[in-house]
Amino acid sequence: MSSIGTPAVVMDNGTGYTKLGFAGNDAPSFVFPTAISTSTASSKTSKGGPRSTNLASKRGLEDLDFYIGDEALEAANGPNYSLSYPIKHGQIEDWDQMERFWESSIFKYLRCEPEDHYFLLTEPPLNPPENRESTAEIMFESFNCAGLYIAVQAVLALAASWTSPKVQDRSLSGTVIDSGDGVTHVIPVAEGYVIGTAIKNIPLAGRDISSFIQQLLRDRGEADTSLQTAEKIKEQFCYVCPDIVQEFSKFDHYPKEKFAQYIVEYTDRNKKNIVDVGYERFLAPEIFFNPEICSSDFLTPLPTVVDQVIQASPIDVRKKLYKNIVLSGGSTMFKDFGKRLQRDLKVLVNERIHLSERSSGAQSTGVEVQVISHKKQRNAVWFGGSLLAQTAEFKSYCYTKRDYDEQGPNIVRNFSLFAVP
Amino acid sequence: MLHIEQNNLLLQNTLTERLYPSDPSANPKSLDRIVSDFDFTTFHVSTLSDRNLILISVYLRCWDDLVNYGVVNYLSNKYANFPSLTVLTGGEIEQGYNFSIVLDVKAAIEESEESKQELIEQLSLLKRHSMAAPFEQAFARYDELSKQYANSNTYSEEVQQELLNEPILVIKYRGIDESIYLKPSFDRVTVIFSTVFQDETDKIFGKVFLQEFMDARKRAVQTAPQVIYTHGSPPLDIQQVVHGGDNDNKGYVTFVLFPRHLVKGDKRDNCISHIELFRSYFHYHIKCAKAYMHSRMRFRVKEFLKILNRAKPENVVEKKTASGRRFDRS
Repeated sequence: MSSIGTPAVVMDNGTGYTKLGFAGNDAPSFVFPTAISTSTASSKTSKGGPRSTNLASKRGLEDLDFYIGDEALEAANGPNYSLSYPIKHGQIEDWDQMERFWESSIFKYLRCEPEDHYFLLTEPPLNPPENRESTAEIMFESFNCAGLYIAVQAVLALAASWTSPKVQDRSLSGTVIDSGDGVTHVIPVAEGYVIGTAIKNIPLAGRDISSFIQQLLRDRGEADTSLQTAEKIKEQFCYVCPDIVQEFSKFDHYPKEKFAQYIVEYTDRNKKNIVDVGYERFLAPEIFFNPEICSSDFLTPLPTVVDQVIQASPIDVRKKLYKNIVLSGGSTMFKDFGKRLQRDLKVLVNERIHLSERSSGAQSTGVEVQVISHKKQRNAVWFGGSLLAQTAEFKSYCYTKRDYDEQGPNIVRNFSLFAVP
Repeated sequence: MLHIEQNNLLLQNTLTERLYPSDPSANPKSLDRIVSDFDFTTFHVSTLSDRNLILISVYLRCWDDLVNYGVVNYLSNKYANFPSLTVLTGGEIEQGYNFSIVLDVKAAIEESEESKQELIEQLSLLKRHSMAAPFEQAFARYDELSKQYANSNTYSEEVQQELLNEPILVIKYRGIDESIYLKPSFDRVTVIFSTVFQDETDKIFGKVFLQEFMDARKRAVQTAPQVIYTHGSPPLDIQQVVHGGDNDNKGYVTFVLFPRHLVKGDKRDNCISHIELFRSYFHYHIKCAKAYMHSRMRFRVKEFLKILNRAKPENVVEKKTASGRRFDRS
C-alpha cells in the first residue's frame, strides 16, 4: 500500500482550538482557533473593477477565497471577510465550512496528500452517529484519505495519562475531567466506552476564570484591565491553594513573597503598565471548588460533581473510576489542581463509607481515590491520539477507503477499540 | 488559497521559533519533530546532544533517482553560502533519511536580520531544492544543446536522430506508476507526468481539469507552456523508458517548456518550483472542486427539503365516535 511509512495525521478539532499534527510527535504541530473567515465581497468585486484581469475573478473562485485559524481572525478585521466558527459545543454545525477548514488544514498547514496518509479524528462524547457519517463522507469522498479512525476525546485523554508514572495498568477505564475554554465536562469511561447517561457539564471554564480575574482587576482599579492581561495573569500566576482562609493570612503575613507584579507590554515599546497581582492568584482557580464566589446560578463544586458522576455510573466500575481520575485541557493546568481535587473528593468518599459502615455494621475495604495529572495535560486529547496512532496496530483498526466504498458511510458507526497493550 | 506554497510552513515555523527565541537567555529546549510533505517526503527535525545544534534530515522516495542527477552537489552548493550550516555526508547522515544538515543556532542568531530570514526561507524550501536538481540538469543540457545547434540546420535527419537519442531523465517520485520524465532538446524541454487515479470520480474530474489546462493557451494565456494530455499509451518521446506498456488507468500530461520559460535566473527557478508541485496542485484542486460540489449539493438538498415540508398536509383532525371508534373512509 502507498501509505506505508507515512506518519498518520492526528486532527483534534475542538470548539475553541484545533490541534493538528503527525503521529509520533509529542506536541501538535499547529494549534490555532477553529475559525474560518470567508469572503463576502468577492462576488461584488468580480463585476468589473481593477481586478478584472485576474483569472480568479473571471472564473468565480470565491470558494477558494478564505482563511482559517489565526489568519482568519486577522482577515476578519478587514472589510471583506466574515468570521465564523464551524464547531459549536464540540459538534460540527456547518459542514460546508468544516470541509473547507479541513481542506486548508491538510494542504496548507500539514502539507500532505490525504491519499497517502491515515487520519485520526476526534469527536466529543455523545456525538450523533449521523455526524460521524458526514465526517466520513467528507474524509473519504472529498479527500480520498487512505484510512480513518474517529476516536472519542475522553478515551484519548485517558490514553495520554499513560505517560504518567502513577499509572500502573494501562486500562481504558477512568473519569476524565476535560476543562477547556468554554465548558467543563466530567466523563466516565469504562473499558473504552463512554457511559453517556452519567456525563455532567459544568458551565465554568477558562473563559470564566479570565473574566473573574478581569472583574477583580477592575474592582481594584488597575492600570490595565483588558481580557488579555487577565488571561496572562491566569496562565502565569494562578495556583490552587489548600485552604482559602489560611492563604489569605499568608498573604497578609508575607506580602513580599505572595504579591506579584505583572508588566504589561504593548506593541508600542515605550508604553508600559504595571499591574499588581494579589488574591486572584488563588481565588481565580478557586471558582471550581467554591463556585459561589463567581457565579450565582451554578453552585455545585467540582469534587461533588465528580462524585455524583461516579455514583451515577454502574456499580461495578465505580472503584476504577475513583482510582483513575484524569485531567485534560488547559484549565486544569493550575498548580496543585489535582492535589486539591483528590483531597476534597477523598473527604466526600470517606464520609459516605463511614456512614454506610455505621448503618450496616460491616467493615468496608475502602475506596482508593487518585487524581492523575501529567505534563501533557494541555493537549492531552491530541497527545493521546498521537500515542495511539503511532502504534503498529493502528492501521488495522482504521477503515480504509476500500472498506468505505464497499459498505458506505454507515461503516463508521462502529470502530473497534484499541486493544490495551 | 489558489496556489500551494512552495515552502514547508511547519519547517519554517519551527526554525523561526528557534532563531527568534522569546527569551534568549533561557536554555533551548530539546526538539524532536517529524514533519511531512507532499509525495512521501518526511523531514525529521531534532536537536543533537548539544541543544544549540539542530539536525534537519529529509527522506524522499525518489532519492536514488535524484542522486543520479546530482542532487547532493546541488544541495551542497545551495547551502554552502550559509556559515551556520554544515552538510553531512556519508555515514554521518541520519539513519533512515537521505540528506542531513546541521544548523548551529548559536551562530545563526548572531547573523544579520536579512541573512536569518534567508536561511529560514532556504531551509524551508529543502524539498523544492531536492526535487529541483534533475530539472536544473535538464535545463543545463538544454543550454548546451541550444548552443550546439544554434547554427546548424535542425531539420536535417542526423540532427533529428541525435535529438531523439538524447537521454531522458526519469524521476519516480511516487513509485513506478507516477513519474516525471524530462527530455531536453535544443529549443525546448519536455516535461511529462504520468498519473494514475485511484478513484473513478477523480478520474473524471481530472479529465475536465486537464482539458482546461490544454485550452488555457488557446484562449487567454498565450505565454503558457503547451499542455498535452494523452490517455492509455505513453507519448512517443518516452515510450522507450516506460515499462509495463499500455495501461488504461494511466494518463500522461506533457508540458512543453519553451525558451521563454527557461530564461536563466528567477524565471527558471520559478518555473521549476511550479512544475514540481504540479501533481499536488492538480490533486488539491480536484479536492477543492469536490468540496465546492458538496456545498452546492447540501444547498440543493436544503432547498428541496423546504419544498417538501411545504407540501406536508395540515394536521387532519381524526373524527371519532363517542366510544372511540374511527370512521374509515375508503
